[in-house]
Amino acid sequence: MTLLRAENLTKSYPGVVALKDVSIAVEPGHVHCIVGENGAGKSTLVKTLTGLVTPDSGRLIVCDEDTTGRASSAIAYVPQELNLFDNMTVAENIFLPAGAGGGRSRFFDPRRCNAAALPVMQRLRMSCQPGDLARDITVAERQLLQIARALAVDDFKVLILDEPTAALTRPEIGRLFAVIGELTAQGRSVIFITHRLDEVLHLHSAITVLRNGEVVGHVDKTSNEIIDEAWIVRAMTGKGIDLGHLWRPRQPRGERLMEVRGLSGKGFRDISFDLHEGEVLGFAGLVGAGRSEIAQTIFGFLRGGSGEVRYRGQPWRLGDPRRAIANGVIYLSEERKSHGIFANLPVRENVGIGLLHRLSKGGIVSPARERATTLQIVADYNVRTASTETRIRNLSGGNQQKILIGRGLMAGPRIMFLDEPTRGIDVGAKADVYALIRRIAEEERMGIVLISSEMEEILRCCNRVVALYDGSVSAEIGEDELDMATVLAAIMDAGPARGDKRGATGRPQDDIAAARGLAV
Amino acid sequence: MQQIAIAPGAAPRRKLRLGGQMIGIIGAFLVLIGISALVSPQFISSYNLTIMSRDLAFIGIVATAQGLLLLLGDIDVSIGAIAGLAGIVCAKMIVDMGADPALAIPAAILVAAAAGALNGLIITLLNLNSLVVTIGMLSVYSGLNLLITQGRTIVNLPKHVTFLGSGQAFGLPVTLWVMLAMFLVVLFVTARTVFGRQLYAVGNSREAARIVGISEVRVRVTAFAIAGGLAGVAGILLCFRLMSAQATLGQSWLLPSIAAPVIGGIATTGGIGTIWGALIGAAIMVVIGNIIVLGGVGIYLQQIVTGLIVVIAVALDAIMRRFSAGN
Repeated sequence: MTLLRAENLTKSYPGVVALKDVSIAVEPGHVHCIVGENGAGKSTLVKTLTGLVTPDSGRLIVCDEDTTGRASSAIAYVPQELNLFDNMTVAENIFLPAGAGGGRSRFFDPRRCNAAALPVMQRLRMSCQPGDLARDITVAERQLLQIARALAVDDFKVLILDEPTAALTRPEIGRLFAVIGELTAQGRSVIFITHRLDEVLHLHSAITVLRNGEVVGHVDKTSNEIIDEAWIVRAMTGKGIDLGHLWRPRQPRGERLMEVRGLSGKGFRDISFDLHEGEVLGFAGLVGAGRSEIAQTIFGFLRGGSGEVRYRGQPWRLGDPRRAIANGVIYLSEERKSHGIFANLPVRENVGIGLLHRLSKGGIVSPARERATTLQIVADYNVRTASTETRIRNLSGGNQQKILIGRGLMAGPRIMFLDEPTRGIDVGAKADVYALIRRIAEEERMGIVLISSEMEEILRCCNRVVALYDGSVSAEIGEDELDMATVLAAIMDAGPARGDKRGATGRPQDDIAAARGLAV
Repeated sequence: MQQIAIAPGAAPRRKLRLGGQMIGIIGAFLVLIGISALVSPQFISSYNLTIMSRDLAFIGIVATAQGLLLLLGDIDVSIGAIAGLAGIVCAKMIVDMGADPALAIPAAILVAAAAGALNGLIITLLNLNSLVVTIGMLSVYSGLNLLITQGRTIVNLPKHVTFLGSGQAFGLPVTLWVMLAMFLVVLFVTARTVFGRQLYAVGNSREAARIVGISEVRVRVTAFAIAGGLAGVAGILLCFRLMSAQATLGQSWLLPSIAAPVIGGIATTGGIGTIWGALIGAAIMVVIGNIIVLGGVGIYLQQIVTGLIVVIAVALDAIMRRFSAGN
């Protein structure tokens, strides 16, 4: 009997199709791995399986029961983000979501709760005590605690683990895999979502590969194909993206604008790269690889950071955004709503706030000049807005972004860090943003750093790509080598770029298992 | 291709004029006045209008001060105690130390501005919650007022000084003229100056403000200092009006200083509303307080009724905002 069967799930959000006709079947005792890049639809799929999201069409059948759009007690779910009660104990964290103190009584008894927590904790070999506060234990223990919470309610048939190993070390991963083994031996199933291809190869009974919301590859035990990292990368790449129009600047790059050597800071270490006039340099990497942190540290929004940065040959001082702007370095945040626009102010004042020195005299702002500048941006970048007095939050994401980029350009910068500039923007407006990026690189001869989770964007817009994995540069990819497989392999820490990890047998799963101290 | 629809017209002057949202609040104010005039014939007597304009002078100033901070998403609940501090320092200097009022008044305003700035520095440099910090500072400044007065009332202020608190000029109380002057200056600062733009920017998003190079700390500390100074002016005027200063001076202004701007459409979350709201909110508060007395509501009920009206007004504003955001 198939424990979980999803049939033709489709879900769209305004501007994006998150899932397109996705079907998966999870058999008893199987570990079903789901892989795909950021934005491939993994999260939406998981949320649909757990009933958090109701699909536009399609059905979800759990243990022969239609549970589309509602939660089923047969499914246990460990989300990617930690959501613990930091100021409560480990034991309380395990049992509170289940609404019980580790027993049937309606009264809460800390001793009974702690005692009930111990078996689950021992199963995962957690080293903290049931009475420790969740905020005091290590990140890895917190991750295990989140898993323990799911295991504590023992009546599930399918366990969904969304990137459970990101914070874990080898012995802890080994313990988790052993627990997965116990569960499958009991005839239960695990759905395992990960970016680590070695884990997929070690665990899988079946693999489903997602891209752009569609299933682009599937294998299970009956398949005769040889499944290795190359197969997965190939499946994720598919027939390759139809790049269509390329937006890379086509003029030769100019002199070096910025030189970064051995820069370390919060979430990244030992980063080196150069940025030249007239080029678009991509920062590719998974969420959490340190892309935004690097840009924010150079710009000065994030304090701290050590290493050598030179700007037009001169030493660059970190930690001072005002100075960065005055010297021609600008950063646009990926959090457009909270870190970009001033939501409740009119478009005119949003423009004015970034250019106060130019638009004021003796400390008094000229609304007429603000308006003239705004009208110029509106005309130059084809912004659609009812008037300059419209509150900027009433503009579409694409038009907000054009205003922010236009405002930044008015200050005459030499370097622009664009952090996910097309997030939440519809397809038509994306092309406008790409054209704008190319135009400022070619005509203004600016150096652009484009941070993006979208493979297509990186491939279409960048002259060169710095691939980041877990806070370090895993590869620098020039224009002639720039294709999806190369970039994917580099940001996933797999494939040729990581070839040195392979041992003598040539079977990667053996070596990785051995390296992690697992029994295969 | 280009479909730019920009309404032609004069340069925008919106914030100096009343915004669209303000029209509803002014409408409510006019209805309130109409009802009040119907309920009590004395309401529009010149005697009563004078009383109300005196109240409005004080509440208008502290509401303007608090409004500035609310626009930032901050709050200073020690504002009444700071006002009292200024009044007491001023009276002490004039009466006990024989200082010239022309020196004592600016000195007392500076003391109040410094007290406000100190609040701002503690909040921004240590990254603390402004409500919690200023609750503590409320106790500090109230205690300071007790310490300076030693619990006694300072009296015997000279006549030419108390004129500022109780006299009339051009048919209106002097205090009202002072309030209007302060209000117009703050209105201009918030609507037309670089500092005003930065204030709204920080109130909307501290992060976005830092990304465009605005020093969030400088803007917030300056606003706390201005608010303290304004409160100081109100405290000094009240001291002159009462012809005395004691430790409780300004203590009753906490509720109206917050309620008035909120009733006038300044959101406590920051960045929304205009300083006009503080003035009109203050006027609404004064009229409500007045009509409760004229309408014969028992003295023991007054506080309850005032409080309820404030809560209802705030709830209505929030509901309207949610409704308009949904569209």
